[in-house]
Amino acid sequence: MDRYNNLLFNILKPYSAILFLNNKFAGLVMLCITFLNPSVALSGIAAVVFTILFAEFLKLQEIYLSQGFYIYNSLLVGMGIGYIFHPSLISIALIAISSAFTFMFSFMLNRLFSVYKIPILSLPFSIVTMFLYLASLKYSGLLSTLVNNATSFDIEIPLLLSGFFKSFGMIFFLPSNIAGILIFLLVLYHSRHIAIMAVVGYYFGILVHSYLIGSFDIALHDAYAFNYILVAIALCGIFLLPTIRNFILALIGVAISVVLTDAIAILFNYYAIPVFTIPFNLTVIVFIFILSITYYKEFNLHIKSTPEESLSSYLSEIFRFGELYAKVSLPFSGEWVVYQGEDGEWTHKGKYRYAYDFVQKKDEKNYQNEGLYAQDYYCFGASVLAPVSGYVVDIRQDLVDNIIGEVDRVNNWGNYIIIKSDLGFFVEISHLMQYSIGVNIGDYVKVNAVIAKCGNSGYSPEPHIHIQVQDIGVIGGFTREFAFSEYIQGNELIFNSKLAKDDLVSAVVHDRSISSRLLFILDDQFLYDIYKDNEKIATEKFIVKMNSYGEFYFQDKSSNKLYFYNDLQQFYFYKYEGKESYLKNLFILLPRIPFINKAGVFYVDYLPAYLVKSKLETMFIELFSIFNKNLYKVSKRYYLKKKSVVSHEGEVHFEVQKKGFKLIKYNNIELRRVS
Amino acid sequence: MSKQKYEIPTINKIDFAMASKYGSPVKSQKIRTEIDGVKISELTEKFGSPIFVFSQKQIEEKYHTLHNAFSSRYPDVTFGWSYKTNYLNEICKIYHDLGSVAEVVSEFEYQKARALGVEGKDIIFNGPYKPKADLKIAVEEGAKIHVDNLFEINDLEEIAEELGIKIPVAIRINMDTGIYPQWSRFGFNFENGDALDAVERMYAGGKLYLTGIHSHIGTFMLDANAYRLATMKIMQLKERVERKFNAEIAYIDLGGGFASKSNLKGIYQSAEVVVPTADDYAEAITNAIYEFNKSENLPKLYLETGRHLIDEAGYLLTSVWGHKRFPDGKKGYILDAGVNLLYTSTWYNFNIELDKRYEGDNEASMLNGPLCMNIDIIEENLMLPPLDRGSVLTISPVGAYNYTQAMQFIRYKPAVVLIDKEGTPRVIKEVDDLATINYKEV
Repeated sequence: MDRYNNLLFNILKPYSAILFLNNKFAGLVMLCITFLNPSVALSGIAAVVFTILFAEFLKLQEIYLSQGFYIYNSLLVGMGIGYIFHPSLISIALIAISSAFTFMFSFMLNRLFSVYKIPILSLPFSIVTMFLYLASLKYSGLLSTLVNNATSFDIEIPLLLSGFFKSFGMIFFLPSNIAGILIFLLVLYHSRHIAIMAVVGYYFGILVHSYLIGSFDIALHDAYAFNYILVAIALCGIFLLPTIRNFILALIGVAISVVLTDAIAILFNYYAIPVFTIPFNLTVIVFIFILSITYYKEFNLHIKSTPEESLSSYLSEIFRFGELYAKVSLPFSGEWVVYQGEDGEWTHKGKYRYAYDFVQKKDEKNYQNEGLYAQDYYCFGASVLAPVSGYVVDIRQDLVDNIIGEVDRVNNWGNYIIIKSDLGFFVEISHLMQYSIGVNIGDYVKVNAVIAKCGNSGYSPEPHIHIQVQDIGVIGGFTREFAFSEYIQGNELIFNSKLAKDDLVSAVVHDRSISSRLLFILDDQFLYDIYKDNEKIATEKFIVKMNSYGEFYFQDKSSNKLYFYNDLQQFYFYKYEGKESYLKNLFILLPRIPFINKAGVFYVDYLPAYLVKSKLETMFIELFSIFNKNLYKVSKRYYLKKKSVVSHEGEVHFEVQKKGFKLIKYNNIELRRVS
Repeated sequence: MSKQKYEIPTINKIDFAMASKYGSPVKSQKIRTEIDGVKISELTEKFGSPIFVFSQKQIEEKYHTLHNAFSSRYPDVTFGWSYKTNYLNEICKIYHDLGSVAEVVSEFEYQKARALGVEGKDIIFNGPYKPKADLKIAVEEGAKIHVDNLFEINDLEEIAEELGIKIPVAIRINMDTGIYPQWSRFGFNFENGDALDAVERMYAGGKLYLTGIHSHIGTFMLDANAYRLATMKIMQLKERVERKFNAEIAYIDLGGGFASKSNLKGIYQSAEVVVPTADDYAEAITNAIYEFNKSENLPKLYLETGRHLIDEAGYLLTSVWGHKRFPDGKKGYILDAGVNLLYTSTWYNFNIELDKRYEGDNEASMLNGPLCMNIDIIEENLMLPPLDRGSVLTISPVGAYNYTQAMQFIRYKPAVVLIDKEGTPRVIKEVDDLATINYKEV
């Protein structure tokens, strides 16, 4: 049964995928709409069926199932055939042949393109259809319908509107404004953002086009204006995040596609081939190619089912877990001061600007007595702790510690350690004390492990710790932007932030017992008695489960799901699916648990909008956070107590010797752990 | 132009290899003008000389550093203040206020802790000699008894009989952690099975049950890894005992022995280089607990660090009384404090600082105390500029053991001053007088 369900979904999915949606009901509605032109509808279905059959024949089921675009290119080819030819045995044969070819061609292009992380979009469709139309010039048995189905289903509305809807319909080979209106409504229902970008893209394209050719009417009548719509949606919302910068990029993209459309049209018209989506494909692929290899910041790395979802997941991630650069722990314990930060005044410049120097101070001074000897400096001899978990790839420790005020100009870095983080980047720590390194090349160190002592070797006029992140494991490698994963400033525990010169910070060392109490294993069960105003009203059970993506979650009796992650640095909840429930409140009360044993500090966390706002509010927040990211910020303060976390919303108490949460308390509700 | 002061000419061998940008050792002087903002001169003028000075600020800083090193890594850590290291009442109070329980090794120390208001349950009673009558009091008051030998098991069983109760006890064990000398005098040996036999003996008697395991592997331990081995062996014994006797070992006690930043004689690198940091010790011990814990619950961890916590917070101020030149040409100074107050001078090279900058070149000098004894030598060869009567030397670190082991010998025991967190010095122990010494004489 599952398999047939999947099959049905896989037939419907490509219909919605053409509109950048991922929803079988949208697909079903789209399929129905295509019946405005039965020839298009039937040819499309035939193409999808042939493709699936062909893939099954090749036993490539897994591949077409997982990748929607293998089928939607065939679907487009099929509808393209249905659009210009009456259904006939010959056209069906042509669909069968082209479906097989489109599938393989898509497969091949995807393999080639994926090297550069660029999508194939509908490029296979554009190329295959080009060949088909060229070949069909020789097949006299095919009956062209181009002439008679031009405007058969239009309603009377002003050209300005009609042009837009017709273009919209044309995406599905249905150049009718009724089809366009229906499709537009469908899109509007699923994503306001896509709808807006469609309108903006279209009219901006028309504006540019009419300016270039000197006629508004001709521009509105252009059959290929739908390219503007597709470019605008793809560049601001789908492949790139919906942000202001990408909005401008999308407009530039639309303008480019206007010129490309005209250029290609002149060439193709000569051979009577339609342009279709070539301008869209060309424009978007060029943009994505360059932005992807240059690590463009507003690239949409995790494409969700709508731009709104992509944006909210992106914002949640950067608010809660910081920008996407490398994160390391502070390389020491206790309280230290930033002596030189990023773009420092002395040595952190140019390619070496992403680096920090730390010293210890007491009463505003780095040293006691007159500071004439290295031993007088408070940080001299302090433990250096591993800032990441990873392998030690290089060390040096034979250099003497300088006399105060002198530097070693030959061996700038002094004694050092380079660790390759489990996450791929390299961390370099310098100026260590001679022969103080307690690890060897090839050793695996865990974050916070003691690895050396702070010293005064290399280009170091006084004892300090230098830390930087590099892309290569060689001393002197260029630095790369990074942030500190956790530290305490004043009373606040701060996550994933950078430091400034003279900042006073306390390092955080992890208590392994906390993480081990939160290592939930599949089928772990937690039973609670629910009390309302101190009166028992019900019981609840949370079970640990895993889905097919390997995500772990708690599931309650009503099948609500609360997803969590334990990355051995912290435990956090990141997604909730379901209705109002105790689990949902648990997310609000305790979005994350740092593994630190320090009562009296607080931290701020940001909750996803859907967790605390109504559906309608969430919709508006998601739409307008494009203009102002901070709209999405729903911050809450959490106070770390001994064995509990307290916030304005309520509190959660931990078990001391057992896994899980002992007591969950909010409003007049209490969940008391039974077992 | 003022008249230049006359300096007696001296002859010095100059070692160029030791010269640095700051000149040769002939020129360099170590100077300390204050402790926690209080002038050295003010201290000696106001409170006399010689005098012990303790800094509350430094005591607390050191305590927090070590405690944080452990508590950030492990959920349940308690320090026990080692009374023998320094049992001045005001010093003990500081540690109790910081959260330390008391660790005592005699009936006298036990009584002292009780007199300071420490409850029995917050006293760890260690040591090889526990008089039975006092042991009984400790049992009645709920103190943590750490058993040292089989005779004590007998004593405790008799006490249990008398009181009609079962007594919870801990056992002190000794072991090989690769450290020489191995402290095998105290407690029961782990490797040869004595420790397990002793536990077996306790359970066979049916009057005692085990709740803790204690070890103390040595003193001034420069290798943090020894603590890892000690912890491992304690955790192994804990697992065996829990399995065999269905016991629940609630706590383990790693004792003390953490080094301070004293310079041990015979070691020529600075303390910053050779002495492990708080993080080193904490990581060695807590990692081993996590690694070798076989039980569902993590044990409570006690530590009885003394020297590491207080040594650097204590100073001895002493004044030059006179000087002379010995027949071999060496300069000799007579100070008002000697080995009677600096028991640890046998093992450690102190840090000796001047109260101000003195004119003239350094020369090898000998520092002698006030005792009319040939052995009263604090330093045999120290490079010092010409000092005069009244010059004050600050000797540190002397916070650990020096006061408790200071002898009343030839002279009176000196006063002790504590500089509180606000930087105000106050006397916490007056200088002795004839009445102190004649008290109890008949």
